[in-house]
Amino acid sequence: MSGPELLAIGDRALSRLERGEAEVMIIDDHSELTRFAGNEIHQSVAERSRFVRVRLVHDGRCGVGEVRGHGEHAVEQALAAAEQSRRVTSVAEVSPLPQPDGGADGTVAYAKATAAATPQERADRVSIVTSAAARRNLDAYGALSTTTTTTAIVSSAGVRRAATTTQASLVTVVRGSEGGGYASRHSSDINALEVGDLAAEVVDTCERNQHATAIDPGDYEVVLSPYAVTDMLEHLAWVGFSALATQEHRSFMKMGERLMNERVTIRDDATAREVFPFPFDDEGVSARPVTLIDHGVCAGVVYDTPTALRDGVASTGHSLPQPNTWGPLARHMTMDGGDIPWRDLVASVSRGLYVTRFWYVRDVHPLRTVITGMTREGTFMIENGTITRPVKDLRFTQSIVGALDAVSGVSRERRLELGEGASGVLSPWLQIGRFTFTS
Amino acid sequence: MPGLYSAVVREVSERALDAASAAGASYADCRVVNRTVQKLTVKNGVVASVELLEDEGVGIRVIADGAWGFAAVDVLDAAAVEDAARHAVRIARASSRVNRVAVRLAPAPALTGEYRTPVVRDPFTVSLDDKVDLLMRTDAAMALLPQVRIRECSLEFVREQRHFASSEGAVLDQTIVESGGGLDATATSDDEVQTRSFPNSFGRHQICAGWEAIEDFDLPGNAGRIAEEAVALLTADPCPAGTMTVILDATQAAMQVHESCGHPTELDRVLGHEAAYAGTSFLTPDLLGTFRYGSEQVTLTADSTRAPGLGTFGWDDEGVAAQRSVLVDQGVFSGYLSSRETAAAIGQLSNGTMRADGWSRLPIIRMTNINLEPGTSSLEEMIATTEHGVFLETNRSWSIDDRRLNFQFGTQNGWEIVDGKRTRLVRNPIYSGQTPEFWRSCDAVAGPAEWRMWGVVNCGKGQPSQLMHVGHGAAPCRFRNVRVEPAR
Repeated sequence: MSGPELLAIGDRALSRLERGEAEVMIIDDHSELTRFAGNEIHQSVAERSRFVRVRLVHDGRCGVGEVRGHGEHAVEQALAAAEQSRRVTSVAEVSPLPQPDGGADGTVAYAKATAAATPQERADRVSIVTSAAARRNLDAYGALSTTTTTTAIVSSAGVRRAATTTQASLVTVVRGSEGGGYASRHSSDINALEVGDLAAEVVDTCERNQHATAIDPGDYEVVLSPYAVTDMLEHLAWVGFSALATQEHRSFMKMGERLMNERVTIRDDATAREVFPFPFDDEGVSARPVTLIDHGVCAGVVYDTPTALRDGVASTGHSLPQPNTWGPLARHMTMDGGDIPWRDLVASVSRGLYVTRFWYVRDVHPLRTVITGMTREGTFMIENGTITRPVKDLRFTQSIVGALDAVSGVSRERRLELGEGASGVLSPWLQIGRFTFTS
Repeated sequence: MPGLYSAVVREVSERALDAASAAGASYADCRVVNRTVQKLTVKNGVVASVELLEDEGVGIRVIADGAWGFAAVDVLDAAAVEDAARHAVRIARASSRVNRVAVRLAPAPALTGEYRTPVVRDPFTVSLDDKVDLLMRTDAAMALLPQVRIRECSLEFVREQRHFASSEGAVLDQTIVESGGGLDATATSDDEVQTRSFPNSFGRHQICAGWEAIEDFDLPGNAGRIAEEAVALLTADPCPAGTMTVILDATQAAMQVHESCGHPTELDRVLGHEAAYAGTSFLTPDLLGTFRYGSEQVTLTADSTRAPGLGTFGWDDEGVAAQRSVLVDQGVFSGYLSSRETAAAIGQLSNGTMRADGWSRLPIIRMTNINLEPGTSSLEEMIATTEHGVFLETNRSWSIDDRRLNFQFGTQNGWEIVDGKRTRLVRNPIYSGQTPEFWRSCDAVAGPAEWRMWGVVNCGKGQPSQLMHVGHGAAPCRFRNVRVEPAR
């Protein structure tokens, strides 16, 4: 269904409200995904669903009902569940439903070609990758997904927002007998995925990453590709860029203090065309750009309505569905690029490592932003400014803030990558003076 | 909502199978799933949320022209389901044009029957008021310590009704009930944040059982002790560094089993089906039956018949009966978790581990209840016979490479052991190692009295992403010569 059609369903739900205030969120999702392994398509799936969420506020109590499925009855059921939930919650300081802020539902990531993509069109693109791998006696693995999502939010306070987005993602690993490579591309438009370029990149990385040799763990200068940088930035969003984390004294952020190198500027910008722009958050509040780190200095955090009220500021439009205990989240991060090509970063390293991607990154000490994880599918030695040979994957245990404080170069080029939490992050290549590998 | 075993559900699944067959499918199965979830959270003395979720839909899986197709739709409407079945066949045909090898399934009997999780008291018959009251009492017990700045406790109840029918004649109906609950006490100071959880981390412990499980957890009775431990950690000494003996509590042993035994024995990983995402495995088929995975103390099983684990059911999501399989037999690698397709690839029969996250996801190989079988020791004996080491409790961080060899775990707290005695509390411990070397260094596992079934509710795998609830029976166990250090 279209945005206006979902808004009409939401309006009808509000008209049934007997007392109190309500917020109705309706999400229509059509997702298809083709997965391949060993140059064969082994899983290919399609899913259509509607999710209805009702937040009901009355007499100082708030209840939530959620329904997926149940067709025409979904809204009624969600309303009834929300009322059942509301009755048992304690009377407390309930976060008010936001007022309309006049924001336009304009810039969204949408492409007709993605919305209309067929299983055959996905298979055709997959075969570009599998054929490229097969020509080199290699095996390709990965997934090509296409998603169309329409989100509508209406509320008794007058919020009426709707937007339709599309997303196409192609993630690939190509493996040879003694190593593999990785590459991915993401866009709202399936026709903009540059499948041929991706195939060339992943095959090239795989061929260079054969017969890796072990090196000793320890501190190395590194050049991290955007795939790896994205993981670090996403973890910062989880552990520190939220107003709730600062209010609960569990964030590394110290406003006005310089914690990172001056080359580092990190923003959240849901209006940026490069990062799957989306006009509003899960309360229907317009998403505003926020500078999080400004030339190394802690500059801002993202807010939802409850945390904004607590600090006496306006929400920045970064709410997850309310009420929740997680707080707001930066989901459209960008890191400013530098002024030199990424290959020049490599050229300036006398002895270090080039890391294609990280894997299984987890928080070890959130307050200190210490994470651990492995390198994967493309870790190379850099010697005298040249990538010389593959090395076996290494485990790192490293403070993200410490790494970003040791940044000595930022590339001009940037890439959109999805983190493990599916946030779109626009990241450059980073040269980092010291990065700790532990095993 | 029509009842799961209603004529509506049966007609929908029959229409789906007929439509798939008419469109050219050589095999089809249909799953109708209805999931009801209650989530209640109290944070800092306030009912932060009470969420009631209903989720229902149909997933149709087919083989056509030798390839798989799958389509799911969220309405129990015959016309919509028939459309989805035909779309699944179109998807399969598109895939077949790329493929060279046709899908082959290991034979499995077409079964019929019903299964229900045994419960003493259906958690959905307990009032929401009573549930809120339990959480508020839990919160109040934590609130006695002002340094505990963040108090959070929650309950979750799941009822999932599953109907499975296949073109081979299987018709299976199951009702699975889960009950879970837990608390987190987070203490903060100017330069430190420490969280202690109970009964397990990640918000809660969950099992296939009724309200009796929640009463058994006794959240209010343990809240004060856990809050005190969180505060004590703020000023505890850092964990000592070095190569030493490590004793894991049962919850961390369960996590170690999950990451370093459960995942690497998934046969789809071994065959490369997950290579681009979850990864592969070091446990290749040439090692089956001969590879020394661990010491003789280490026997690991997959057992979907063993209550009350989250992997306990009547049949898996391709209709294979629940069963017990040995994965590691007294230290020797002995078996995989398999499906009909992957078992056929190595000349075996499926051992019933295909599970889907609801109706909208394709069944893939998942852990059921992956258990470290009890040994003959005890925690007390292990500590008493340890010269120097640490006793580590409750997972805090976990990471392992894509072949499941190189791991690093952190726990919420540790106790230094000196000359057979538990001495001082230590903070921020992490330990690391290589999977076979680590399990070969296991020299003691506690016996049945300390063995308990634990639940993991956040196991991610697959594309699109699927979260699975899995069980792990485990007891405290001891490992020698492990690298230990504090997180810096």
